[in-house]
Parts: sequence; C-alpha cells; structure tokens
Amino acid sequence: MSRIFGIAVTMILGAAFASCAWAQDTPKADAANGKKVYLADGCYQCHGRVGQGGLMTGQAPVLAQTKMPYTAFMHQLRNPINDMPPYPDNLLSEKEAADIFAYLQSLPGRRPVKDYPILNN
Amino acid sequence: MSKKDRGDAIGRRRFLKGATLAGAALGAPAAAKAQTSVAAATSRTVPPPDMAAETLPPAPDPIQQTSSGGDFMCDVLKMLQIEYVAQTPANTFRGLHEAIINHGGNKAPELLSCTHEEIAVAMAHGYVKIEGKPMAVMAQATVGLQHATMALYNAYCDQAPVYMIVGNSLDASKRLFSFEWDHAAIDPAVIARDYLKWDDQPASLQHFAESSVRAWKIAMTPPMGPVLLSLDSEMQENPIPNRAALSVPPVTRVALPQGDSGALAETASLLVKAENPVIIADRFARTQNGMDRLVELAETLQCPVIDEGGRSNFPTRHPLNHSGRAGAVLGQADVILGLEMSDLYGTTHALSDRIVRRTRSITKPGARVITISAGDLAGGANDQQFQRFQSVDLAIAADGEETLPALSEQVKRLVDADRKTAFDARRKRLENSYHAMVEQWKSDATLGWDASPVTLARLCAELYDQIKNDDWSLVGNGIRVTWPRRLWNFDKTYRWIGSSGGAGVGYNAPASLGAALANRKYGRLSVSIQGDGDLMMCPGTLWTAAHHQIPILYVMHNNRAWHQEVMYVQAMCNRHGRGVENAHIGTTITDPNIDFAMMAKSMGVYAEGPITAPKDVAAALKRALAVVRKGQPALVDVVTDPR
Repeated sequence: MSRIFGIAVTMILGAAFASCAWAQDTPKADAANGKKVYLADGCYQCHGRVGQGGLMTGQAPVLAQTKMPYTAFMHQLRNPINDMPPYPDNLLSEKEAADIFAYLQSLPGRRPVKDYPILNN
Repeated sequence: MSKKDRGDAIGRRRFLKGATLAGAALGAPAAAKAQTSVAAATSRTVPPPDMAAETLPPAPDPIQQTSSGGDFMCDVLKMLQIEYVAQTPANTFRGLHEAIINHGGNKAPELLSCTHEEIAVAMAHGYVKIEGKPMAVMAQATVGLQHATMALYNAYCDQAPVYMIVGNSLDASKRLFSFEWDHAAIDPAVIARDYLKWDDQPASLQHFAESSVRAWKIAMTPPMGPVLLSLDSEMQENPIPNRAALSVPPVTRVALPQGDSGALAETASLLVKAENPVIIADRFARTQNGMDRLVELAETLQCPVIDEGGRSNFPTRHPLNHSGRAGAVLGQADVILGLEMSDLYGTTHALSDRIVRRTRSITKPGARVITISAGDLAGGANDQQFQRFQSVDLAIAADGEETLPALSEQVKRLVDADRKTAFDARRKRLENSYHAMVEQWKSDATLGWDASPVTLARLCAELYDQIKNDDWSLVGNGIRVTWPRRLWNFDKTYRWIGSSGGAGVGYNAPASLGAALANRKYGRLSVSIQGDGDLMMCPGTLWTAAHHQIPILYVMHNNRAWHQEVMYVQAMCNRHGRGVENAHIGTTITDPNIDFAMMAKSMGVYAEGPITAPKDVAAALKRALAVVRKGQPALVDVVTDPR
C-alpha cells in the first residue's frame, strides 16, 4: 500500500514540475463535450469524475486544473508512462482529446484547507 | 492331556469365544448357527434348542451416557483459553457442539453462528489480529472445510493463527447411509494443507489432548499460521472409557526467535554510519510494544519509516512517518532495514503492467539491505505468496518485534555526539518534508468536495470527524483506500489490523466483524470501510453481527463494481485497440443496483442509504454511530466515486 502511496506523491509532483518545463499551448475546445468523452472513455474510472485522482496499480494523478501542458497531455494519452492504458487516435480523436483537456481545465481545483475544518482534525 | 490335546482344547475355546463375539455383533441367528456347527463337530449329541434364547429380542443398545469425548475436548478448549468457536452447524461435530453449549455452558468458548464457513474463518482471522490469541472454528470435514479454504488461504498468507477443527466420521462401518459418507474423508486436511502450518487427526482422546496443545504452540510460534485438527465424530460423541487416565499437557511458553547478536551488531553499525538509513515495516507490530520500540529506534536514528500497512506499525502523525514519500526516501537510502516484509522486492522496485513487464530498482546502487523476518523460517512451495526473491546483504531469520529491543540497544551504544548532531539535522529535514506532504494531502482532499457520487477523501474526512474522540479501531478497509492513512491519527496498533494477506475478496466484512468482537470487551469503537463486491461474497456476515450484537459500523464504499477489474479490463481493451465501451461487461454490479441498506435491515442491522449527496453523509454517520455506541451493528451505504 505504501508503494502506491509513494508513487502517488511522486507522480503528482512530477506533473507539477512538468508545467515549468513546457509552455502552455491549450487549444480552444468544448469542455461540455469533453466531460461526456471523459466519462464515456472511462478516464474517470482511475482519475475520478472530477479529476480528483485515484488509484489503479499505482496512484492515478490529480487532473483537475492540471498544469500539464497540452502537448504533454497528448503525449501521455498516446504513449503513456506507468500503467495508464493508451488512447491511440482511432479510439480518441485529437478533437475529443482537446475537449477532455478543456473539461479538466474547467473543473474546480483545490480550495483553501482552512475552509474545511474537518480536514484539520 | 497331551500337549497336542491341550493345544486343541485352547484353540477350540478361543474359537468359541470368537464365535460368541461374532455372534453378538452379527445377531442371534448367526450366533446360533455358529454354535450349532461347532457342537456338531465336537459331539454326536445335539442339545435341544434354547427356545427362550432363540425368541428373546437382542440386548438393547445403551441409549444414554454420562460422559462424552466432546466434554473432554471442550475442557481442553477451555484450558487453551479459547473464547469463541465460530461455526456453521454440521453433523460431524455435533458431539463437540453439544458439549460446548451444555457441558461448557456456552461460555469461553462461546459458539458463534455463521452462515458460511468462510465467514467463520475470516472472523477468526480478524479476531486474532486484535486479541493476539486464536479463535477456534468448527467445520464439517469435507463440504464445510471446502467453504473455509478461501479464508484459510488469506489467514495463512497473513501469518494469522486460526485454530481449525473439522468433524470427520472415520469408521466406515458406523457411518449412516448417504450424507455421512459424503461428509467423510480419510485425510480431510489435504484440501487445505497448503494453507496450514500443521494438522493432525488424533486417534484417541489422549492423542487429541497432546495434539491440541501442540497445535496451539505451532500456531503461535512465528511465523504464525492456521492449524487444523480433524476429530472423529464417534470420539466426540461416545462415552469416555476412563477419564482419570487422560491427561492434558500444560501449554508451553515459547521464547520467540531473536536475531543473532553478531548480526544485530553489524546491522546497528551500518544504520548508525549511514547517511540516509530507511526502515520499512510490514507485518511487524503484533502489539503496542512493537510500535513503541519502532518509534524508539527511528527516533534514535532520526530516520524515516515506511509503514507498508500489513499491521499498524508506526504512528501516521509522527514526522518520521514517510510512507507517503516511499519512492523519494528509498531513492536516497544507503542502508535499508526491512522488518517482517511481505514483498521487499515489490517495495524496492517499480513494475510496468505492459506487454513486456519490465521492472527497475528504485533504490540507489550500492544501498545495503538488511531484513529481520520470521518469514525466512517459513516453508511452503505451491502458493506463491512469498513474492519475488530479493537478494539482501544480511537476512536475520528471527521475529522482528522480539528482536527490535536488542537492536535498539546496540544502536544506542554506537551513537556518539557527532552522529547525534548529524541525526538531529536529518530530523529537521524530514520534519519539513513530512509537513509539506501532509499539507498537500489536505489540499488534495478538497478536490471534488461537493461532488456526487461522494469522493473517498470527503467520506473518510466525514467519518474521522465523527469518531476522532472515541477509542476507534479501523478494522477493515477493503479496497486500499489511502485517505485514512493520510487524514487520520493512527497512534495505536489496534487502530488498524492490516489487510487480507492473500488478496481474497470476501475477507473484509467478516474479518472486520471478528476484530470488532475482540474490540468489544475493550470498549473500542470499530469501523470498517466496506466494498460492495466484498460484502456480496459473504453478506450473511451482517446477520451474525446482529445475532451476536457485535458493535461495528460498516461504511459502504459502494462504487457498484469490482472496480479493480474495471480498470484492468479497460487496460486490456485499449491495449488491443478496441476501446473501453464494453469494459463494464462482467465487471460492474449494476442493473439492478443493490440496496445494501435494505439488505442489512432484513438481517436485523440498523442501516441507512443509499446516500449519494455528500451533504447527507455526516448526519447519517452520526445516527448510525449512535446505534453502534449502544452496542449494535449499523451500516451506512454511501455511493462513492470509484477510487
């Protein structure tokens, strides 16, 4: 269990650092359609319906308001690292991928912890 | 009389005696026939028939008795201080069953009624991880034991002692027709022997007494594990010929295996000299002393600890607990100490679940690895629960908890002022990393806070808010939910009991109940995060909870799927370029959705749900916990996001 626990944090931090290295190049897209595709293509099964992250063989990282650049996002879909299933273009078009990315950007991100007293028990 | 004549006479007398016994066994007509033929051979005078003997009914069988082997067996179970015997009733142990409820007064041991033998064994599995001593389980030798084997496998993998008793009908000439033959075997344990540390089929009550104590001793000596006694039904049921001749050996106190002092000195030297030592603990802490001694060693070295979660080994809110940074601290480690590790290779390597399954080490080249584990003393070859072989620099074959005090003393002796200064600096760095990690977790928990289905972070935060002021015990967490370890304060060994061991679904619900039963007498509040797929394996667990009034709160993590398999099948779909459209087939528990609250209520358990709105979770938990605090079981069905 701890192994998964540790990989989780590593991947999350990795995604954060990646944002520093690559420029943002998000295309214009349809977030509403992105939500439909995100659910229909099973992304939520590992990453959560609102991109809050989850657990497969290792941790599936948080995707809500991901800082990962679009090019890196596409690369992970087509040639994923770790255990994520591949989404080649015959299963997920460029347009659908862009819509998913827009959906992820539209999601509410993290909130201030101080607003949730029960997280400070 | 000549020698020959004397011999003939003796032979004849023996023959007649034998014929008489045979006649008694076969019935009067046969006896009369034998006597007639002997008489014809030895005398020309044929005596007149004894008409009275010929016409009287045979001597009646005894129909009552004042003692039984089962009574003696019950007395032995009492001597072993077995508190409970979990069982689903069956004919081949009816003798011992009756002895427990009447001769033994159904108290220590008390019978527990279970609707499936898998539930009975899993309850014993959970119980021992809180109580520290085995519960007994009675099952029928063939069909009952086959039901029990799945749970025995989990207990075996988890090194949990379970005291298994199966009833068998050994004497083929005494079995009733049909089912007593179906329920008999010449070697019933064979179907479970891969998952047993030891077993026996005693041939007498004295043999039983000695094997009972031997079984206890073997089960409780690390590496611990399940044991089995197959008890003949006649031996249980029939009178004791001479009770005074039976003796029960006293239970031997076992000094558990400690590590070699030279090896510990070498280990202590490596740990003290290391720049970045790391301790990993898995099935390590059996008792609070184990956790306390691990804290002592970690604080002496001021080094990070990775708690793998096989038991509750190290407090989650201790700043040296770096379980959530396992990859980071292992990547820097120059000395690694593994305590009772179940899968050291898996902890120190990354595996890619791809077409080519590549592994790579996540540790630094040249890192020295030492293990202390009773697992090195275990046997077994068929089942592969021993995991992939990991070469280490020094393997100390001994019990971890028993060995740690001696290692700590050796470490303390080697820490001089310079090393202490270095250790204190290390502590400061580790504290900073720890606090950053915890703040990140809390921030992550806010994601999807108001989403429906309910996120697991929200569910776990709400649950902890309700129990944090109780003496709580998380007795089950079926689907590796990581949020309790991130958000809750696990500061005692009984806060968490570890998982199934063998990854067998169907463990969580009944093992949680067994642990809750053990917690009851200590006044602890038992809660279990319960998967829907797991509960459907053994739903009758809820009836046992209600029947025996065992206080426990089951909080359903109801994702309406065998969700790990959803993800695995999705991975296969996309690997083969076919898309995930059909991945739900055979992996989801929908159409219809199961109403777990209705199911629980039908078995006498207070229940609420299904709850889909996060705002409704807290109030439902509060109402259910009020029931649990009064000594009853309860269930709250929360429909959750998958993971």
